[in-house]
Amino acid sequence: MFDLEKSIADWRQQMLAAGIKTPVPLEELENHLREDIAQQMQSGLSAPQALGIAVKKIGQAPELKREFKKTGIPMEIQKIIKLAGVICVTVALFCQLFTCPPFVFAFGFSLMTRVLLLAVWAITVATTVLSWRYNHKLLPVIRNQPLRRAVGIVCYMGCLLWMRFVLFHLPEFATGSLSLLVFLFGSEWTVMAILGGVGHGLEKAVSRHDLKTAS
Amino acid sequence: MIRKELVAASAEPLILSLLARGESYGYAIIQEVKARSDGKLQWTDGMLYPVLHRMEHRGLIKSRWGESETGRKRKYYSLKKDGKTAMAKHHEQWSLVHSVLSGLRKEQYV
Repeated sequence: MFDLEKSIADWRQQMLAAGIKTPVPLEELENHLREDIAQQMQSGLSAPQALGIAVKKIGQAPELKREFKKTGIPMEIQKIIKLAGVICVTVALFCQLFTCPPFVFAFGFSLMTRVLLLAVWAITVATTVLSWRYNHKLLPVIRNQPLRRAVGIVCYMGCLLWMRFVLFHLPEFATGSLSLLVFLFGSEWTVMAILGGVGHGLEKAVSRHDLKTAS
Repeated sequence: MIRKELVAASAEPLILSLLARGESYGYAIIQEVKARSDGKLQWTDGMLYPVLHRMEHRGLIKSRWGESETGRKRKYYSLKKDGKTAMAKHHEQWSLVHSVLSGLRKEQYV
């Protein structure tokens, strides 16, 4: 006795075994398969015939896997990256806002020094925010995906090294000064925001370039 | 049957143009293209999904999970602003190719 549900489950297993592991594509493909089977059966075919035709039409798992691999970073991960960016930028800006202006005006700096310090602060704030927004316009389009990812990983490693430096070395100088600790904490997030913006910008540069050339 | 290179090249403008009429899902998109081309323009069904996912990652379209008439989950796609711009450019370019071809063909009959 032919069991359609079991046959679909077997097909799903074959797809999984061939490497189509991401839940979203497999779910979509299975829905498509079921709709096609239902359509074929409405046209008068038996369940085994309908399944055979639908499976053939949907294509071979290795070819599908190859095509899905070209898709790039999944949308869900892109959203997480964007959220991480927003968090980094917000924390960095918050810490900078509460430490930099008081620092500039607390000590007996000359007017010129204060202006310079404020200018440096303004540039840092602008870089922190704009690196996420506009980096893709300045960064090169690196089509080689492994190379692009390698640059992203270097940025990530840079963040880790900076965090290690901030966490294990700088606090020694900041003992007893809360505002300096907050400043260091903020600078840590600033570096993460800027380097994260570079990684994000490289990916965005490629997708924007693809959009322009394809259309 | 239309050559596979042309089928592949026309996938994006066709999907964008279909979604410009309203949101749709994979199976319906394939059926619509098949019906409008009298079955001459046929994709390998499964290959539509990597194309849809790529377009989504490039910000041309967006998706949401909904429900089919049978109660199963179904992924619906719709056009985004960048998709509308891309569609306009596709139309412009395909119209240009069409007009050049038509012009050349007319000259052959003069």
